[in-house]
Amino acid sequence: MGSSVSMKSFNAYYADKQALKDVNLEIPQNSIYAFIGPSGCGKTTLLRSINRLNDLIPSFSRTGTIAVGEHDVYGLRGRNAVSRLRRGIGMVFQQPNPLPMTVMQNLLLPVKEHYKDANSTMEALAAENLRKAGLYEELGDRVHKAALLLSGGQQQRLCIARALMLDPEVMLFDEPCSALDPISTFKIEDLLMEIKKEHTIIIVTHNMEQARRIADHTAFFYQGEIVEWGATRKMFMEPEQELTQKYIRGVM
Amino acid sequence: MQTETKTRVPEMHIGGRLTRHRSRAFSSRAGTAYCVVALLMVVSVCLFIIVNVVSEGAGVVSMDFLLSPPNASAMNAEAGGIITPLFGTVALTALGTLVAFPFSLATAIFLCFYTKKNWFTSAIRYSIDILSGVPTVVIGLFSLAIFTNPALVFLSTPVENMDGVVVKAFGRSFLVASIAMAIMVLPFIIKSMEEALRSVPIPYIEGSYALGASKWRTINKIAIKSSIPGLVTGVVLGMGRIVGDTAIVWLALGGSIRMPGPRPWYWPPNWLATLRNSGATLTSYIYYTSPAGEGNNFTVAFGASLVLMALIIVLNAVTALIGYLAGRNTREEV
Repeated sequence: MGSSVSMKSFNAYYADKQALKDVNLEIPQNSIYAFIGPSGCGKTTLLRSINRLNDLIPSFSRTGTIAVGEHDVYGLRGRNAVSRLRRGIGMVFQQPNPLPMTVMQNLLLPVKEHYKDANSTMEALAAENLRKAGLYEELGDRVHKAALLLSGGQQQRLCIARALMLDPEVMLFDEPCSALDPISTFKIEDLLMEIKKEHTIIIVTHNMEQARRIADHTAFFYQGEIVEWGATRKMFMEPEQELTQKYIRGVM
Repeated sequence: MQTETKTRVPEMHIGGRLTRHRSRAFSSRAGTAYCVVALLMVVSVCLFIIVNVVSEGAGVVSMDFLLSPPNASAMNAEAGGIITPLFGTVALTALGTLVAFPFSLATAIFLCFYTKKNWFTSAIRYSIDILSGVPTVVIGLFSLAIFTNPALVFLSTPVENMDGVVVKAFGRSFLVASIAMAIMVLPFIIKSMEEALRSVPIPYIEGSYALGASKWRTINKIAIKSSIPGLVTGVVLGMGRIVGDTAIVWLALGGSIRMPGPRPWYWPPNWLATLRNSGATLTSYIYYTSPAGEGNNFTVAFGASLVLMALIIVLNAVTALIGYLAGRNTREEV
């Protein structure tokens, strides 16, 4: 199995403050990779560096490389290269962020600009992704109602379905369940297990049980460095580093 | 009994040791009283003005008053109506807003999405602040100086010398005044539009970028769409200022109560000519007919004031409705 995302000597800074120190990591294809660690440890920074969303922060700077597939993320050249990169990398945020329009319009938003297929084709694709997200039967006619009227869990699954519309190679999840109730959380976890068959998933989570339940691999971040990484089962059963042990046992 | 004493101890302790306790209660009551009295005064002054304008002006206002043009004399019975100043206010407000809107929106978008913090943007912001503090009479004077230039004669009417040669432009017209009004309201509209754009939730913006949308599309489809109520508020704010301004009207629209252009002024082929000529608004009409102007006719001045106030109320209501509808559309269904 090839690696889908690979980071080499990656350093990130906010102004003078170093947020990530010499990160080297290979994310294998069609698997779930969890980033865990205490707040402010840099895991979200790394996640947002993969689709260059940190570029929106004026004080952000970095060295080192990140590659998605064979594309060097920070070496892209050409018009709209970053937009095209982001179309190949889906992202789901902590707060569900459907836009203030109908469910269907939310789904069509990412495809309408770039594809000239007939509306019926795109709506069929939207229906397929809604079905994947378990929303198709659940919503019924409500797909033509405002997305903001859905529950938090439904909104988040809509955001996942929306990201799937572009059939991205990699999907980034930034604590996707931290604003949700346990039942919605389980639904999303089931969905992630389903999605990973066709996509590579990276998930930042504060919930270690979640990492244990769904992740194939886990990396533990502490103060901007990756302390330990590897197969989730091994990491939780017999961590090599004392720091990891402490964090997993909840004494840190 | 025991527990009651226990719970009361701390309070008694404070009351016993600190004598400020009582005076605090007093100052708290005094503060409340002060606020209530001040509020009552403000409200009663506002009510008094409204009641006064209504009672003084209601007797004059009729369909005839609204729809007939003013006469040359403002003396009591011959004063005529206010159709031309009423049209002037509506036309000037519409034109001024129309001129100001695209520039304000573009500037607000630029300030919100395209600038970094540096001396250049500080300079821009500082100049906008200064512009918002410039008295409107100065803007009127400035526009008079600019628009009397013969090269800009297409905005007003030519002034010829004895030999029939165009020596300068008249520099006073609806078109000129609407540009001056637009300049006057720019800073206010820009500020409130920028605020509206900044209040667009960051998750919307980031979500749009994460889906691979370009910057322009993010601004156009997401930021502008979800801040429509705020943008409308900015426009209303500007309209309110145009409706109420007098100094620019005085200097840039000219000193005629009636329409001096080709007649009838409302005849469609004459529209452009009417807008290139001078005119009046309700505010300048009120000035002319007041004792400070030539009219010395309080009655019609109050009649016009009543219409002006009604216009402002209607304007606010209509735009609030637009904002509400636009907001509901983006919140629920498009």
